Amino acid sequence: MAVNPETQGYLLPCGRDVETVWERLADVAAGRGDEHDLTCPDCRDARASLNALRDVTGELVADTTEPAPHLTGRIMSAVRAEVRRRHDMLPLPTTEPGLVRISEHAVAAVLRFAADSVAGVRARRCRVHDLRVRAADPGGGEESGPVLVVELSVAVSYQSFAWRALDLVRERVAAAAVTRIGSELHRLDLIVEDVYGA
Amino acid sequence: MISRAGTPSGAQTPPADVAPDDSRLDDTTLVVRARDGDVRAYEQLVRRYQGPMFRLAVRMLASRGDAEDVVQEVFLTAWRSLASLHEEAAFVAWLYRMITNRCLNVIRDRHTTVDVDLAQRESRSPGSRPERTVEVSEQLAAVTEALQRLTGEQRACWLLREVHGRSYEEIAQAVGVTTTAVRGRIARARAQLTEMMAPWR
Repeated sequence: MAVNPETQGYLLPCGRDVETVWERLADVAAGRGDEHDLTCPDCRDARASLNALRDVTGELVADTTEPAPHLTGRIMSAVRAEVRRRHDMLPLPTTEPGLVRISEHAVAAVLRFAADSVAGVRARRCRVHDLRVRAADPGGGEESGPVLVVELSVAVSYQSFAWRALDLVRERVAAAAVTRIGSELHRLDLIVEDVYGA
Repeated sequence: MISRAGTPSGAQTPPADVAPDDSRLDDTTLVVRARDGDVRAYEQLVRRYQGPMFRLAVRMLASRGDAEDVVQEVFLTAWRSLASLHEEAAFVAWLYRMITNRCLNVIRDRHTTVDVDLAQRESRSPGSRPERTVEVSEQLAAVTEALQRLTGEQRACWLLREVHGRSYEEIAQAVGVTTTAVRGRIARARAQLTEMMAPWR
């Protein structure tokens, strides 16, 4: 084996190292090889091997081997087990004696979904607060829904975004708050934080 | 509708609205949402990137089972530490770095284990034929075998560059060496692979 562990490259018996042969592959293939390239048997053999490696590298790149189908499920159940069950619960309106509460995450998901339905808009960050909780009235008002203060950031499509779309976002988010969550949208702060090209 | 976001089964029934399918959202949007606690957005990222991450891990470790464990660990760790990812666009590079590190750790642990337990070594040495479910050609089988004879770091550098097309800077960060060292490891890996696959002498 033409290996000198002290040098970075691997020397062929002819004195060139493999990396040089590799870098010259394209030139030689294009007919721009020098005298040594064209006559040296060591370089010729190395080129054949390097070409074989390049071909098989292409196979690796094109490889579409997937993990077992249940892996996504395994990952996601581990993730869901960690989803924080925090104190960010909002009371929902109910006439029954029991409490109904919804997490701020769930409210955010519903509102993001409503914003997404507007063409050229993608909802990103969504922060939700209940005004009544803020107003230090945590126990009261189980019979009326939460009064939401929402901060929503969106990315808009470079091609299809029009200013009017933000009004539509406002409308749909407000509608979703009422019809889906049974809450009033007191205030919505919209932030266009990015554009995306489709 | 409301329960959708909270149920573990995760919204399989398509809603009537015209909201875009999560699978068409850009990475940054998904990362921002996931950091906000949106599990569905994170699931989309998992579906999008588990393939390439698995393929890197399986070539690093030559074992589907170990590779799946690494991929699962990394995606769980990533979920936990999304808050520390300040540049959303760097999500994929971040995943590659974590997969690389985890794989190198597994390889190091194996070496520690072989010193202690020879039986284990039998089942894991490269000569004992790694699980063969991925090879479609003889050449591919040969390079898979040859890869296992490189050092873990050489293998990581070569795979990240030549197969996954990552930049030298990114690989340097992932492996924790300089870009010059990365280039050296790739050159060495290339020479060894060429030689092992089809000796030129």
